[in-house]
Amino acid sequence: MRKLLLAVMLTGLTSTAAAQTKIEVLARTCNTCHGTGGVSAGTSMPSIGGLPREYLKRVMKQWKYDERSSITMGRIVKGFSDDEIDALAAYFASREWTPTPQKAAADALAAGEEAVRRVCTDCHGMKGGDPDIDAPPLDGQWGKYMAIEVEKYLSPEFKMPHRRMGKAVTEVKATEAEAAVRYFGAQGR
Amino acid sequence: MHSILRRDLLKVVSAAAGVAILRVPQARAAGAKARVVVVGGGFAGASCARYLRLLDPGIDVTLIERERRYTSCPLSNEVVSGERAIATLQTGYGGLSERGVRVVFDEAARIDPVAKTVATAGGKSFGYDFLVVSPGVDFDYGAVKGLTAELAETRLPHAWKAGPQTLLLRKQLDAMPDGGRFIISVPKGPFRCPPGPYERAAQVAMHCLHHGKKKAKVLILDSNDSFSKKPLFEEAYKALYGYGPGGMIEWVPASSDGKVEEVDAKSMTCLTTFENFTGDVLNIIPPHRAGKIARDLGLATVNGAWCPVRPENMESTVHKDIHVIGDACVGGDVAGGNAFPKSAHMANSQAKVVAASLVAKVNGQPAPDPIYTNSCYSVVGHEWGFSVVHLFRVDSGQWVYVKQGSGISPVSFGTKDAPKPVPRIYRKMEAEYADGWLRNLMADAFG
Ligand SMILES: Cc1cc2nc3c(=O)[nH]c(=O)nc-3n(C[C@H](O)[C@H](O)[C@H](O)COP(=O)(O)OP(=O)(O)OC[C@H]3O[C@@H](n4cnc5c(N)ncnc54)[C@H](O)[C@@H]3O)c2cc1C
Ligand code: HEC
Ligand code: HEC
Repeated sequence: MRKLLLAVMLTGLTSTAAAQTKIEVLARTCNTCHGTGGVSAGTSMPSIGGLPREYLKRVMKQWKYDERSSITMGRIVKGFSDDEIDALAAYFASREWTPTPQKAAADALAAGEEAVRRVCTDCHGMKGGDPDIDAPPLDGQWGKYMAIEVEKYLSPEFKMPHRRMGKAVTEVKATEAEAAVRYFGAQGR
Repeated sequence: MHSILRRDLLKVVSAAAGVAILRVPQARAAGAKARVVVVGGGFAGASCARYLRLLDPGIDVTLIERERRYTSCPLSNEVVSGERAIATLQTGYGGLSERGVRVVFDEAARIDPVAKTVATAGGKSFGYDFLVVSPGVDFDYGAVKGLTAELAETRLPHAWKAGPQTLLLRKQLDAMPDGGRFIISVPKGPFRCPPGPYERAAQVAMHCLHHGKKKAKVLILDSNDSFSKKPLFEEAYKALYGYGPGGMIEWVPASSDGKVEEVDAKSMTCLTTFENFTGDVLNIIPPHRAGKIARDLGLATVNGAWCPVRPENMESTVHKDIHVIGDACVGGDVAGGNAFPKSAHMANSQAKVVAASLVAKVNGQPAPDPIYTNSCYSVVGHEWGFSVVHLFRVDSGQWVYVKQGSGISPVSFGTKDAPKPVPRIYRKMEAEYADGWLRNLMADAFG
């Protein structure tokens, strides 16, 4: 009886250990583009370590089921099962968000701050670090990456399903939106 | 509380001692769980050494590399065209040393798989429990009559290993007059970076267009009948530079006598079976094979050129406890026409598989199921890029190419009957992502 129990406990243990390793193996493949541990070293690629779990799940599934346009990610996530996507989301969400504060010109920062105060702070917080439940942190996310995302929201060639965010970027001038993301990119913790 | 204190203490100590504290090899080697030696510190070897230390600092890792500085081949075609400074593609090995990798700058000269040692040209010897062989490729100059290693360093640079030859080729392009002809000779596959020669053709054409050489020609003489991302390249060639007879870029496939058999450096002529092509710049890319150290050990049993490995962990099928990764190996769904591309991302991915497998083995854990991925960005003009991604899994001991997780950037929007061109903004963004991709790849391998 005791032996049996032990065996059950052991197999239980090894299978969770195996499952754990597996998602780490899959998650490691993301590092090539998103940086080790999902902390990006390239200005046009987003950091993904520490993004909220529900957000990660949602965007990856939207790409997988063609509900959201992308340049690269749509092709990648189509190779994963929904369970793998959920596990990836849990994995990257469990990491700490690591802002990479970037330098920006003082006048751009001022213009950005003004636009953020007027429109973006509602959902992202003044520094981008206090997001609504369905929004990602923007503090210390790469400004270049965010500027590209804003371009996607503004272009009719992209399907970006979050209507309220889509509407928000039209409430400022394109140059102000660009300044706003540079302002977010300049924030540290 | 305890661990926080410990960490703070360590920080203080290591700050006081600089990074040197991480570098006491003898002390560490004594208590090490296993010794791994990595031969060749390119994208494959550097990534493997780094991930071994990241996943288990109890493993003693030695990296033997002949050069002190590494130059990334990815995006080096932008150096040829003058769009990028070569320094943005270079790195040293300090990042790896800081992670506790013992970096030895020397040439690995001999491997003894029985005694499990690696001897260097500098007269040192390193014992190992596991060996990772990642020497990249050597060039088979003898395959093209009239070509020599010396010519490649002087008049006919291939620049297929980024470094001095990249700068030499750049200089030659700069000096090329308007109306000049730049010939790229592509070897029979497999060669490193399948889209590379075609990206280079575009970069050269871009240089000419923007430097008052509108009458220049780029001629691709190919030993193959098709190429990677062909519809994407051809779309860009047509839109940006003109393609085919009369255009700036022309491609001659093997079936139209495109294979260069011989080259004459004096008259700057390439000879195919039936024709002679003279050029102002001859960029002859020789066929490749696995680096010498791998061939010397008898690991390269596929056509005497490439090293076969096991799907589960990249272990050589020839020698136990020796793993071959990067351009030197052959893997993937070869029979199905989907061999692993020889790319930097692929090398980085294979390296992680080996690191995970060795860490599991050393710690008596079950080996994790491997996953292999690839991506490769090509930049063909200002604000014009595209990419390919690959996904491979292992099932029943075999590599499986996962089509749903692989593919090139879209060639067309709309339907088959009513195709629509892909909006330019997609190409523009992809060129922007290429730079971020390279920075992360470099950091993930050498950081
Ligand atoms: C023009 C060009 C463009 C490219 N573009 C891309 C791209 O966009 N994307 C992409 O993914 N890939 C690209 N590649 C391919 C990529 O560069 C290679 O696939 C990659 O470098 C392979 O890594 P590796 O570690 O196997 O070999 P290498 O990077 O060649 O590294 C091998 C290392 O081993 C060392 N070495 C060899 N023998 C010994 C020895 N006996 N002792 C000590 N040291 C030794 C060498 O000095 C070298 O540093 C490109 C290649 C070229 C030429
Ligand atoms: C070949 C490079 C590449 C690889 C590999 C890659 N990504 Fe991405 N990722 C991108 C790009 C480019 C974007 C921007 C969106 C797009 O594709 O247009 C992105 C965006 C993302 C985002 C959105 C971030 C945000 O702030 O909204 C998430 C989440 C993400 N990737 C997750 C992953 C995961 C998880 C993996 C590994 C399974 C992965 N990526 C592997 C290139 C890559
Ligand atoms: C109504 C709430 C709201 C407002 C106002 C708003 N956003 Fe957003 N934002 C969101 C949400 C929600 C998301 C995530 C969207 C999704 O899931 O597709 C988002 C996403 C983003 C992203 C993409 C982040 C990433 O990691 O990919 C950027 C950049 C961004 N917002 C910038 C701004 C800027 C700049 C403003 C002000 C001009 C702004 N937002 C105003 C809700 C808002």
